[in-house]
Amino acid sequence: MDVLFVKYLSRRILSAVLLIVLVITINFFIIHLAPGDPATIMTGLENPSPQIIEALKRKYGLDKPLVVQYLKYMTNLLRGDLGFSYVYDQPSWKLIGPRVFPTLSITVTASILAFALGTYLAVLASRLRRKFGDLFLSLISYILYAMPSFWLGLILILVFASKLKWFPTSGMFDMRASYEGFRKVLDYLHHLFLPVFTLLLIQLPVFYRVTRASIVQNLREDYVTVLSAVGISNDRLFKKYVMKNSIIPAVTIFGITLGFSITGAALIEIVFAWPGMGRLLLDAVFRRDYQLLLSIYFLMAVFISVAMIVTDIVIAILDPRVRLL
Amino acid sequence: MRFRTDFAKRYLSSRYGLAGLIMFLAMLIMALFAPVIAPYKPTDISHDMLSPPSKVHPFGTDHLGRDVFSRVVYGARVSLTVGFVAAGLSALIGIVIGALSGYIGGVFDEVISKIIDSFLMFPVFFLILIIVAVFGRNLVYIMLVIGLTTWPSNARIMRAQTMSIKEKAFVKIARANGESPMRIIFTHIIPNGMYPVVANSAMQIGGAILTEAALSFLGLGDPSVVSWGKMINDARSYMSFAWWSIVFPGIFTVITVVTFSFIGDGLQQALYPKLSEVRNE
Amino acid sequence: MKNVVLNVQDLTVHYKISKKVIHAVENVSFKVEDGEFVGIVGESGSGKSTLAHTIIRLLPINAIVVGGRIELLGYDVLSLGEEDMRKIRWKEFSMVFQKSLNALSPVHKVGNQLADAMKAHNPNLTEEEIIDRLKQLLRMVNLPERVLKAYPHQLSGGMMQRIMIALALLNHPKFIIFDEATTALDVVTQGQIIEEIKSLVKSLSLTGLVISHDLGVVSELCDEIVVMYAGRLVEHGTTEQILQQPLHPYTQGLVRSLPDFARERRLFGIPGNLPDLSESVHRCVFAPRCPIANEECFTTVPSTEEVDGRRVACLKVGARV
Repeated sequence: MDVLFVKYLSRRILSAVLLIVLVITINFFIIHLAPGDPATIMTGLENPSPQIIEALKRKYGLDKPLVVQYLKYMTNLLRGDLGFSYVYDQPSWKLIGPRVFPTLSITVTASILAFALGTYLAVLASRLRRKFGDLFLSLISYILYAMPSFWLGLILILVFASKLKWFPTSGMFDMRASYEGFRKVLDYLHHLFLPVFTLLLIQLPVFYRVTRASIVQNLREDYVTVLSAVGISNDRLFKKYVMKNSIIPAVTIFGITLGFSITGAALIEIVFAWPGMGRLLLDAVFRRDYQLLLSIYFLMAVFISVAMIVTDIVIAILDPRVRLL
Repeated sequence: MRFRTDFAKRYLSSRYGLAGLIMFLAMLIMALFAPVIAPYKPTDISHDMLSPPSKVHPFGTDHLGRDVFSRVVYGARVSLTVGFVAAGLSALIGIVIGALSGYIGGVFDEVISKIIDSFLMFPVFFLILIIVAVFGRNLVYIMLVIGLTTWPSNARIMRAQTMSIKEKAFVKIARANGESPMRIIFTHIIPNGMYPVVANSAMQIGGAILTEAALSFLGLGDPSVVSWGKMINDARSYMSFAWWSIVFPGIFTVITVVTFSFIGDGLQQALYPKLSEVRNE
Repeated sequence: MKNVVLNVQDLTVHYKISKKVIHAVENVSFKVEDGEFVGIVGESGSGKSTLAHTIIRLLPINAIVVGGRIELLGYDVLSLGEEDMRKIRWKEFSMVFQKSLNALSPVHKVGNQLADAMKAHNPNLTEEEIIDRLKQLLRMVNLPERVLKAYPHQLSGGMMQRIMIALALLNHPKFIIFDEATTALDVVTQGQIIEEIKSLVKSLSLTGLVISHDLGVVSELCDEIVVMYAGRLVEHGTTEQILQQPLHPYTQGLVRSLPDFARERRLFGIPGNLPDLSESVHRCVFAPRCPIANEECFTTVPSTEEVDGRRVACLKVGARV
């Protein structure tokens, strides 16, 4: 098993690296093929003087041909240099760094909760079988799936923050009070609740549907008949055998969702004024801060690839059939 | 021919499919007959700003005194158009590329497959975002971009279909008869294999609508049309004292996307009727 | 006269599928004596599998036992509650399932699943005792010990089928049903398994049924053969009688379609298809495909008669095709 595993792993890593390279290359060229001269946009002036433009161009290497810029960018990446933000006049990593934790605190928490709750509800629904509860859960999953995340966030703010005043309306901390230590953590959790709840509701339906379908399919499989005939109790049969088989698709989804966290949370970060990477990304787009944009994209690509590889490993541990691939 | 009536019958027997169809027809009527249904023009400003739902304004008015109900009704036009055009384009490209890739095989297929996999692994929304932000905020662009970035899932389905259909007898006969590959692809493979793509497209319509809503919310939408996403964005500052301006556009967005999810489900059931519980002999 | 282990009387089983009623088994009766193996032969849809599953009460939810009585090892099987059934199923009798893609859970090791099966009826065994018993079983079916640590997909078809046999022998049953146990195997493996089953049956003094569509398989393993068609029993006799002097036209067709390599004859089939089992008919159910059917056959239901030392359900019994 070990040799196969190592081979499997190395193939996946290679694919991932190739993918990252491909993604960055595409992004690089899209961004740089955009209309509008970045130097002009950066000055923020209507009619900047040619000297200013020249100075900016030289400072950020914008006067060299595109291919040269590309090569320079790639070599920088290999050295660990993420680039330099034109707009903020700081190295990219300095801007991105503090944003990672806020984004992850929303996405990781929400994904784990959505996974747990979604699969639990799916198990519940499969035991209900055609009663009212099954239909109800199904409808809810359709509705949640159709909701724009930003709208849901706003509605939750409206109800729970503005009207009921149970939670703050935005931000990660209460800026006016300066809490320390434990109180700060509580404050942070207090602010974290609604954004996580929003993302949880958005992600819930997929986990529910996928797991439910998987359970239904597994219950039809021969091994259920055989193991039940042999005398294994329904309880054990379900909890040990059906569950392990049924949960595999949900694990895949979990990995994908986590990988795509940054984009998934972006809209929610905007609605809740949460200082995360998604918001930074959007700001960068609007300000045409190309370097920053590329840096964030690079991180996203790495993040997605890592998430996918880890998911693949977990699936290979759960499902021995996969190891043959 | 018999296949089509069977298909229609199976679709209509699915609860969700039927519900979806009815809801869709209602939406369609709303969009087509907007000028008749809406009591006001969507851009009509009035002095009656931020007033709650009433007999005169069933959904209230927004911060510019515009009737929310009328704007919601007109918004259906934008949503349905974006949904169909974007998903349609995506389906078209996906079907052609998928069929070609599956049929031709070889290096061509491998390259296309890699491209498809890359797209599917990538958060497409941000790609769309960048392109729209950078190249222009008009509806045609938006629909085009969504279509051009979402075809891979359709291509993947069509490719799988192609690979199984091309092994069937009637295709082999056509090949033996000397029919050109193009003819085979377009007259035999695509008409027989495209149905799962159609089911997928129903879901993509919903996705396109949500994407447009998100873009509009971010201020990247087409400023010259009435979009539900934009309505939500506009209403943001006033929502705590004018809940109607934000709730109704959102509800209608949800209803519309749910409609297409239902339709997609109905199509799935029509294509792959559920196996009965009985074990086979 | 030997002890009767299984007594099936007038069994009728129907399925309900979306408003239609499928007559899967109609008025089937037969007995199995101690130490004997009876084969149930028929094509797909003949009802043989339903019959087998009814005996061990493993029918799906939409199946209804409309009438009849089954006595197995002294138990009135059809009247037992589910709890009581669970206690005796797999202890007194068991079934060898056909090896299929997911006959066991694909994500758990084989040994793990077999151990769980053991624990189900023997909760007080120690881990050691369980492993010993499993190893013993594996030896009985000619499988190496390493199979316990393997996953189902890693095993060949023949190995999986042997696991199914080992599973059935877990609790020393007295009665075993082999349900299409050789069907999914290639001819060579099939031959091996048949030999192994023969020696197992002998060494363990088992009684049971062999369900198969393959008359050849059944004739190797069984003393008596029951031929089923469209849910009805059409002929029942000793293996010798059935093979050498089949009386029912359907049986005659079956025997003729056995490939005979010695004489290098052509392959024969039986023309036509199974009737629609959702129709309730008032004629001989085989009539549409029967080469010697006449008007009477299309208007009367034949009853099972004792002819020549065996039972046949045919209005024109004895007539040669």
